[in-house]
Formats: sequence, structure tokens, C-alpha cells
Amino acid sequence: MSFLRGGAPPSSGVNVDKIDMAITELDTVTDFFNKMVSSCYSKCISTRFAEPDLNKGESVCIDRCVGKYNEVQKKVGEKLQSRGAANAAAGAAGGFSPL
Amino acid sequence: MADANIAKPPSLPARQSGVRTVLSYTGIPPSWLDKRPKLPSRNWLIFLSVTSSVVGLYVYDRQECKKIRQAYVDKVKHLAEVTADPFDFPRTVTVYGAKWPADEEYLQGIKYFRKYVKPILVAAAVDFEMISGKRHGDIAARVAEDTRLRRRLDLGLDVDPEARKMLPTYRSAAARVKHALGGGVVVIGRPTFKEYMAGVCAGWTAGLEPVDADEALSRVLEHDTHFDEPPDLADMAHADADAPADLPRQAPLSPQTSPVFSPLQMPSKPASSRPRTSTAPSVPSGPPSVIPPLPPLLLVPFTNYIGITQIPLMIWGFFNQRHKVRSGAEAGYCLVMGNTRPVNVPEDTVDFVASAEMSERAPLVDLGDLDFDKEAEDFYKSSMEKFPEDTDKIRQKYYEALPKKLAIARELARGTREPTKEEYENPPPTEVELRAERLKKERRWRDDVHGWDIIKPSAAVQWDERLRGSLTVFVDPEQDQSDEPSSAPIIP
Repeated sequence: MSFLRGGAPPSSGVNVDKIDMAITELDTVTDFFNKMVSSCYSKCISTRFAEPDLNKGESVCIDRCVGKYNEVQKKVGEKLQSRGAANAAAGAAGGFSPL
Repeated sequence: MADANIAKPPSLPARQSGVRTVLSYTGIPPSWLDKRPKLPSRNWLIFLSVTSSVVGLYVYDRQECKKIRQAYVDKVKHLAEVTADPFDFPRTVTVYGAKWPADEEYLQGIKYFRKYVKPILVAAAVDFEMISGKRHGDIAARVAEDTRLRRRLDLGLDVDPEARKMLPTYRSAAARVKHALGGGVVVIGRPTFKEYMAGVCAGWTAGLEPVDADEALSRVLEHDTHFDEPPDLADMAHADADAPADLPRQAPLSPQTSPVFSPLQMPSKPASSRPRTSTAPSVPSGPPSVIPPLPPLLLVPFTNYIGITQIPLMIWGFFNQRHKVRSGAEAGYCLVMGNTRPVNVPEDTVDFVASAEMSERAPLVDLGDLDFDKEAEDFYKSSMEKFPEDTDKIRQKYYEALPKKLAIARELARGTREPTKEEYENPPPTEVELRAERLKKERRWRDDVHGWDIIKPSAAVQWDERLRGSLTVFVDPEQDQSDEPSSAPIIP
């Protein structure tokens, strides 16, 4: 019975903010993934399709490419976050925030 | 005047050639047609010859580089064109690049690898992991730690977490070791080689328990007097206070007595005691008498020129990159082909290693593979010989400045005086912070000097007799054909 009681409050009012945030996040992740796939594809896969499977060179290249992409994404994310935090602090003090 | 003008025109056409006559009617300025070719002036000649020879040298060198690299890439290309199974692991090698002495740019070794060796590995679809040492001794510490973890896994002291075993790409520890053996270790330059050997020797000799270096150091520093209260200052501060109330304060703030120090000490203690109790019962913690086979070594010669005196060599190197490309590509090719031989070290090396500690440059004996790239040590900056003394000077300076900071921190903590306006805005470090900072600095100084002790030219490459059977070195397959072939079945 607990699931009925637990399910009642959300049905009364859907948290629009959270849904929006989830959608934004999903968009970001999808965008990131698509960009990664296209750039690693153009970097690693030759345009000559000789066989249906990846060959060794291509698979190693893709492995490294995806690893690098994720690492860069992480680093940029951290930088942006710290900058965003700094800007928010400056903005709270009445400054102009370019981000 | 008029006569001369009239007289000349008839004589000119007679001297002109037919071509000249025709061209003079095409609209080309006559001054161009009368141009006689002549050498440019002396200055122009100098300029042109210098410029063209410099550009020519550069272009020729880079063309040669491309050709050499392409030749080696073509030799190994077939390895990358095999179809791969998605769940297959490619051959992976570990690349170590230690800091070059006296070079602020610690990535030099890794850069050399990326520029000269990597293209061959990429062409042959060999995956690599690059590990750089930011400070002297980092590589040694890392290798020793990895070795320790491997030993623990081998002995079954550590087991992989269950969550990891669930992954589709999970492999058992034995499979991972086997995979590493099929890969290899790339060692860039003499300092890296020394650090790597030191790390391997330490890793196979030291105990299996994790050693918290910070905690060990804090125990060493526990009894020094730098954080003791200077008696006269304390007397001045509490001149009006009662004697009995003053006594506990005057006691030196040692980590045991000080309530201030305990938060620093607390987190490290339980962390170190936990594994000791859990693994203590069945640890055969002594060093093993036999070392299992280790991944083969690829020794890449590398000399990093730094300093004003070596600028001519840098210029020479700039126009002769083909030699580096050839040496790097050859090394990469050896690695890719995977032909190995046992490490070549003379039998009675231990005596020489011992004597090398006493007298600098004494052993002119051939130490086989341990002499790898020895001539590179001549290019170390001479100022590095004073490195321990320099560190001592910095340390002395720091400790001279410390009491002042400490006094301020204590005054503010005890409320004997109000903080000034400046101190409100930028609060000076508290005693806890000063202690933490001191520990950090002391750790860095000691690690640096220890690292330099490993790689300094007067120190011999560390060697353990147990490594004789387990350490192998990559060799050029073409040269190896003439010797007895001892190629390992490396390419999966």
C-alpha cells in the first residue's frame, strides 16, 4: 500500500523544473555522444570499406579517441563549473557575469 | 645636340637582333629588354646563400624524416589491418617518462615518445599508456607501488571487487598479468631507466603492506623542535598569568598532547591500521626468492639538451631530426615485432654496484644493459650536483621564517591581541595549517632529494640478482636473426 501513498504527492503536481532539468541533461548527453561519435568516426575509420568488421588499428584508435574525448569533456566541465561558481559569487556581489 | 640625336637612331637598329626588334614592338618596356644578367651585390649574395642553405637543410631534413617514418610505418602496417574481435584487448604497453634533471618541463621524455616512437605504435595498433613523473622519484614510487599491488594480487591477498567482476570486460588477475607480459614497458632515457630499476628492486623487496608516506614522515618529524614554544616569548605573553595555569600551555605541542593536531592525525591512523589487521594472519610478507617474468623492456635512448652551453647541440639537433626519428622508429619497430632477449648484465655486477657508491666513475667495466644511455649523464646540468645543498638552503630559510608566522598564529589563537584590519581580510595561517604546510614541504624536499639520489650520475643503476631470469629486453628482429632466436610469442 505504501506505493499508493508514495505515488500520490507527485501526481498532484509534477515538478516542472526537475523535468526541464532532466530534459536538458538528456539533450546535453545526447549531443555529447553524437559529437564524440562523429569526430571519432571521422578520425579513425577510413573511407574505404573493405570489410564489415573494424580492424585492429581502427578499434585501438576509437578506444583512445573515446577515452580522450571523455577526459577532455570532464576537464572542461570542471573548469566551467568552477568558473560558473566564481561568476555566481561575483554576480551575487552585483558584478556582471558573462557566463 | 640635335645633330647627335639625329645621327644615332640609324646606327641603333643595325646593332639590334631580330628578336629584340620584334620584342620592342610588343609593348615590353625597352629597359627590360636591355637588361644584362649580373650577379646581385655582395650583401644580397650573403643573404641569399645563408637563407637558402638554412631553408634547404631544414626542408631536406624533414623530408628525410617523413621518408624514414613512412618506411617503418609500412613495415608494421599489416599488423593493424587484421580484423579485431570487439572483446579482444589490443596489446598495451606502458610508457614511462621521468623528469629530466634541472628541466622545469617534466614532460620532455613523454614528448620525445609522442614525436618519434608513437607513430610506429599507432600504425601497428599497439595501445599505450603514458606515465610521466612530475618530480624526481615519481616513477620509482609508482613502479614500486604497482609491483606491490601485483604481488598482493598474485598472493591472493587482494581480490577484485565484486562489482568489477560483473563487467563484461572483466579479466582475472592472472589474465591481466599475462596481457601485461605480452605488452611491454617503454623506458625513455637514462633517468627513467634508473628510476624504473629502483622501483622494480624496491617493489620486489619491500613489504606488502601499504606504507603511508605522510604518516611515516609525521612520525619522524614528531620529535623535532620547530613547533616548540620559544620560552621567552611564552613568558612575555603570559607574564601576568598565574604560574600553574601557564604550565600546560608551555608544554610543547606534540601531536599526542595537542588537541589542535589531532584532526590532522585522525584520518590517517585508522586507514593504515585497517588493512594491517585484516590481512595480517596469512601474509608471507618477505620478499620472494624468485621474481616471476616481468614485461620486456624497451630502452629508448634520449638526451634532453638544456642550458646555454648546449645551444649549439640544440641547433644541430634541429637540422638533424632524422637521426632521432630513425632511432625512435627503430625502437618502436623492435617493440612491435616483439623479439626479446634476456637482460645482459655481467655476473659479478653487485660488487661494482657497491663500489660505484663509494667512488664516482670508478667502474669502467662494461655493465651490459645497465650502461644503457650512460653518455646522456654527461649532459646533466652541473648545477644539479648541488641539488641536495640547495634544498637544504631552502629548508633552512623556511624554518628561519617559521617562528614569526607561528608566533602570530598563536597570538591570534589565544586572543592575546586583536587581529589587525589586514589580518581580518586575509587571515594568516593557523597553527594547524602551518603544521600541514610544513609536513607537505618537508615531504617534497625529502622526496626530491631521494629521487635525485636515485638518478644522479654517481649512483649506479640498481640491480637485483633475482631479476636476471625474469627481465627481458626488446631487440631488433633483423639483428636477432643472426643470434640465437629467443623470440617470445608476443603477438596474440
